Amino acid sequence: MDALILEISTRGLHRYEALARGVTRVGRALDNDIILSDPTVAPHHLQILHHPDDSIELINLAEVNPTRVDAMPIDTQHIGKLPVNIEIGRVHAQLLPRDYPVAATRSLAGNGKPNHLFGPAYWALVLALLCLLASGLDFYANAYSSFKWIELVKHLLRETTLTIGAFVLGLSILERLLVNRWEIQQMLTSVCLVYLLFMGTNLLADNLDYLLSAHWPSGLLYFGWYLVLIPVAIFLYLLHISHLPRERSILLALLIASPIALPALLQSPQMQALFDNFSNAASYHNQLSYTNWHLHDEVSIAEFIEQAKAMQPGKPAD
Amino acid sequence: MRASLLAISLVLAWAFAAPASALDSREIYQLNEDRVFQVRVLNRETGKKSSIGSGFIVGDGQQLATNYHVISQVIQEPELFYITFVGSDGSEGELSLQGLDVAHDLALLRAEQALGEAIIMSPLPPGGAPIFAMGNPLDLGLSIAVGTNGGILNQTDDSRILFSGSLNPGMSGGPTFDDSGAAIGINVATARNDISFIVPSRFLSDLIEQASGEAYDDSVDMKAEVARQVLAYESRYIEQVLAEDWPSLELRQFKLPGVISPTVRCWDNSSKLSTLVQYKRYQIRCSNQNHVYLDADNQFVGRLIYEYYWLETDTLNPIQFYNLYESLNKDQIDTKPGRDIVTNFNCDTWFVEVSSQQFKSNLCRREYRDYPGMSDMLFTAALTGHADKGFFITLIATGVDFDSSLPLIRKFLESTQWTP
Repeated sequence: MDALILEISTRGLHRYEALARGVTRVGRALDNDIILSDPTVAPHHLQILHHPDDSIELINLAEVNPTRVDAMPIDTQHIGKLPVNIEIGRVHAQLLPRDYPVAATRSLAGNGKPNHLFGPAYWALVLALLCLLASGLDFYANAYSSFKWIELVKHLLRETTLTIGAFVLGLSILERLLVNRWEIQQMLTSVCLVYLLFMGTNLLADNLDYLLSAHWPSGLLYFGWYLVLIPVAIFLYLLHISHLPRERSILLALLIASPIALPALLQSPQMQALFDNFSNAASYHNQLSYTNWHLHDEVSIAEFIEQAKAMQPGKPAD
Repeated sequence: MRASLLAISLVLAWAFAAPASALDSREIYQLNEDRVFQVRVLNRETGKKSSIGSGFIVGDGQQLATNYHVISQVIQEPELFYITFVGSDGSEGELSLQGLDVAHDLALLRAEQALGEAIIMSPLPPGGAPIFAMGNPLDLGLSIAVGTNGGILNQTDDSRILFSGSLNPGMSGGPTFDDSGAAIGINVATARNDISFIVPSRFLSDLIEQASGEAYDDSVDMKAEVARQVLAYESRYIEQVLAEDWPSLELRQFKLPGVISPTVRCWDNSSKLSTLVQYKRYQIRCSNQNHVYLDADNQFVGRLIYEYYWLETDTLNPIQFYNLYESLNKDQIDTKPGRDIVTNFNCDTWFVEVSSQQFKSNLCRREYRDYPGMSDMLFTAALTGHADKGFFITLIATGVDFDSSLPLIRKFLESTQWTP
């Protein structure tokens, strides 16, 4: 067996120590060959003996938090087959042969292509400006009582910039804690894409509501947004931008999305209806559209009255 | 035949009984203080008053007339409440329900023994004549309120007399006398200071005539009886409204049904035109006044409301205009009965052609859970296809048979005319 590698897990990038033949001392004291500053590691915690015949022997030196190999505490342990998992205090390490295969190289965000959205910084700025534009148009479309530029600016600063800024900052801090990196530009790009997607799907759902004279498209969007789209967006970010493993990305996406999704879902009319299935308000289809695209046939007054006779009575609440 | 005989005998009795000179309030009070009672609804468990009103001796001397709303709790929960009377001399006794006229808010009660001499009833005196309302205001004792006859109100479907005196809680169900000492009506409601309402005595005469000799027995489903009476009244009312020639009113590019019944009053609710506002709106709201008291939760039914709402703009673009238009498309029935009283609404949508224009129309219905066949109906229709103008029609009818309300919608839409 050639030289060994001790892979030491950390919150950021792992640390790799090449072990020469002979004795390697691991512990918190400064006279060790490999120093682990974790307080749960003993000053002299472990000796790794790499014998000339390539056999490996681990000797525990710690009285407190003794070394564990494959989850079992040891005094002295001969190692037959690599890799082997070692717990030194709470530090996780792995003893590997030098020729141990590594995972395939992940491409940079945007595959390194110069025009990719996650590549150059100007895309993040362009997308941020697009968000402001979309939000401004939405404000303008709803400013039917009166329109003032100062109100638009206030809206963009108070609503849009703050919302996007808060998400970018919050998620960037989370990312820093998770993978020990700041990726503000990619985060801004991602948040802006999600924001634009939200605006677009909202518009689509409104038009589908009118087209079908139904409430379910916007209801579906509401639930789909919080239960599917937000977790998927976070998952894709963690997988492709942060390069976390797939399973960990799924778990983290669900964890990160849940504080956003749960309150929104609990406050949704559909969820409220589960808790209280009675309403004094008539939930009729009040949407109006200038395009007036709808699938319902136009009926005469007589046909309408005839069809209305078949209307079922209202359902009593529990 | 019986009705004619009763009417003739009442008029004769009134003519012979009428003193030669007009009585003043003191004399009317003294003449009737033994014939006007406090009517109490008591809780069987606590023995305490739950509601109070007044009543007076009618018919065979064993009957008391009062308002339906005074004793409606007994109909809601007969196992918990019962009715008693207390006379000015302190005499007390239990009363049973003998007859109801829910539409006119009247109830006929029967005592176990004769209570005294029945009060004579008479037609309404001329407008402006003095009239005197007796009753037990606020549980303080017998009192008399003096006012004048304001005449029968046609907006209440002739079911109310306007009284310029002051009625107070507890006086409901008491008699209102003319200056001969005959009862011309029954105290029923107040609007504000010195604006009060009296039920004309002819409805009470009809009730006395129709009521059988015995009180309702326990086998009668009183809520079903209330529903039957309300629905019969509302169906008759809608038929009358449909039979009328509806005058039209003009609102911008539409000719619309105007005051469709004498019971209806219309008001302009248009917003003031302001330089800040980028659109103009014109709103007309019409409603009837002949509401029917339903139950102790203070539910009134029999409301007929229709509203027109025109919207136009010179400055908004179509997207802005339709955002505004949609935000205003939110009419609801403003009464909020609880889940125990009504069902949820069931709504459906149609695109209906009305006078060559298309309206997105929604029809909703909800049912009264304890009153079989009784529904609330909400109809809204919004004009589609115009970039700079919008128009809503809203029609609301409460406490109606749903099917009988549909011809009303039909006539509304057929009477709506678009002027290009």
